Amino acid sequence: MKKSKSPDASDALFEVGDKVRVRDMPYMFYTRSQLYTRGVVGTIAALTYKDLIPEEEAFNFDGRIEQYYIVRFRQKDLWPGYAFDNDTLQTECPHRWLEPATN
Amino acid sequence: MSHTHTHGNPGDTHHKAAPMVEEITDYEVLEIAVRELAIEHGLFTAEDHRKFTEWAESIGPAAGSRLVAKAWTDPAFKALALKDGLTACKEVGVDWAEPTGVGTPSDYMEFHLLEDTPTLHHVIVCTLCSCYPRPLLGMSPEWYRTTNYRRRLVRWPRQVLAEFGLIVPPEVEVRVEDSNQKCRFMVLPMRPEGTDNWTEKQLAEIVTRDCMIGVALPKPGRTADVHPIQKARRPVKSSAEEPANE
Amino acid sequence: MSENRIAVLEATRKQDKAWETLAPRYGVTNPNPPWKTSLTAMCDCLAVSGALPALERRNTEDELAETLYSDIPSPERELLALVHTLVSRGLVSEADLVSRMKTVRARLEAV
Repeated sequence: MKKSKSPDASDALFEVGDKVRVRDMPYMFYTRSQLYTRGVVGTIAALTYKDLIPEEEAFNFDGRIEQYYIVRFRQKDLWPGYAFDNDTLQTECPHRWLEPATN
Repeated sequence: MSHTHTHGNPGDTHHKAAPMVEEITDYEVLEIAVRELAIEHGLFTAEDHRKFTEWAESIGPAAGSRLVAKAWTDPAFKALALKDGLTACKEVGVDWAEPTGVGTPSDYMEFHLLEDTPTLHHVIVCTLCSCYPRPLLGMSPEWYRTTNYRRRLVRWPRQVLAEFGLIVPPEVEVRVEDSNQKCRFMVLPMRPEGTDNWTEKQLAEIVTRDCMIGVALPKPGRTADVHPIQKARRPVKSSAEEPANE
Repeated sequence: MSENRIAVLEATRKQDKAWETLAPRYGVTNPNPPWKTSLTAMCDCLAVSGALPALERRNTEDELAETLYSDIPSPERELLALVHTLVSRGLVSEADLVSRMKTVRARLEAV
């Protein structure tokens, strides 16, 4: 089965402070990538652990191990009209869901 | 034999004369029936079920409260807890690696303590499935598992906190932690005023479960989380209003 | 997830014997029925064994909690949702459930 082109375990890791965008990737069945973060730019807050990507096992049979990150978003960027400038939200993402963002 | 059966069995030592529900509901029967069938079909083993049940009955928020109280009184422990949560947990008697003896039920990888400051207030949710740091806090409260809390907290955190009686000033950052993967989180609230010279035990008493989720603040004198009973929104109607089969 | 009602579960809920209604009638103050931890353990076991992973179980539970069982309080709602999911997926048969409930009840009532 042809494997989709996607980030490789050898890609350079993101660092704390890097700006990243959550990729809007297709998924099968149940995903742990929440819809409300898709396409939004956040900042790497921490590197956590390396682990298997659960839903990707349906596409890639080599069970890739990837770095997971805590990504921090401004609530204003997640929700239109969010009224409090300072509020943030953090969630955890594996490397392959993220791409570098320049803005 | 189910050890949870309210009628008890010959030989049981029911030493308390507490009132009991003196009827066997279909719910009780259903739980036993489905469990027996599941075990017979090999979905899980009776032994694993017994271990997980015992674990569920043994856990509570006391270890979390002790961890917070210790962090408040011991700066070196606090630094450790913020850097290496799992090791700090061991010092309050919680080993995440073997909480049940059959591996962890929730497939965690790390534990992070979220430190509140005068300009930052944390609150925790799992929008996907209510992941919760059970080894430290015990069973999650029912409201934490509702879609009402899980969907609304990420979008309207301040409104949801206000419903719990917690108003956060606008200049303080409210940070929602959505634990959607394998990290587990707990809030390290700020130590409140009026607790100078308190012992760790006294401090632990005011660190309730709600304070460690982030929907309440610890206060002298506040030693319990109080919530209104969740009533069914639409109570079951009589059988005269049986809907047509779909 | 289909909203097909499952007869044995409908019969159970019709009795209106959820703990939050029942316990006050007997002056029992324990907030949870005695089988709640057993139910929790069952969900954990199903997740660990892979028979019903946590995320899938919670997704169907959420759906059922908002539709078919929206008027049932917790933890009865979670029990009904779990059994509904197991029956829908063919992991447990409704016929077996009906007959097992009869024998379990007879056993409990014989004590």
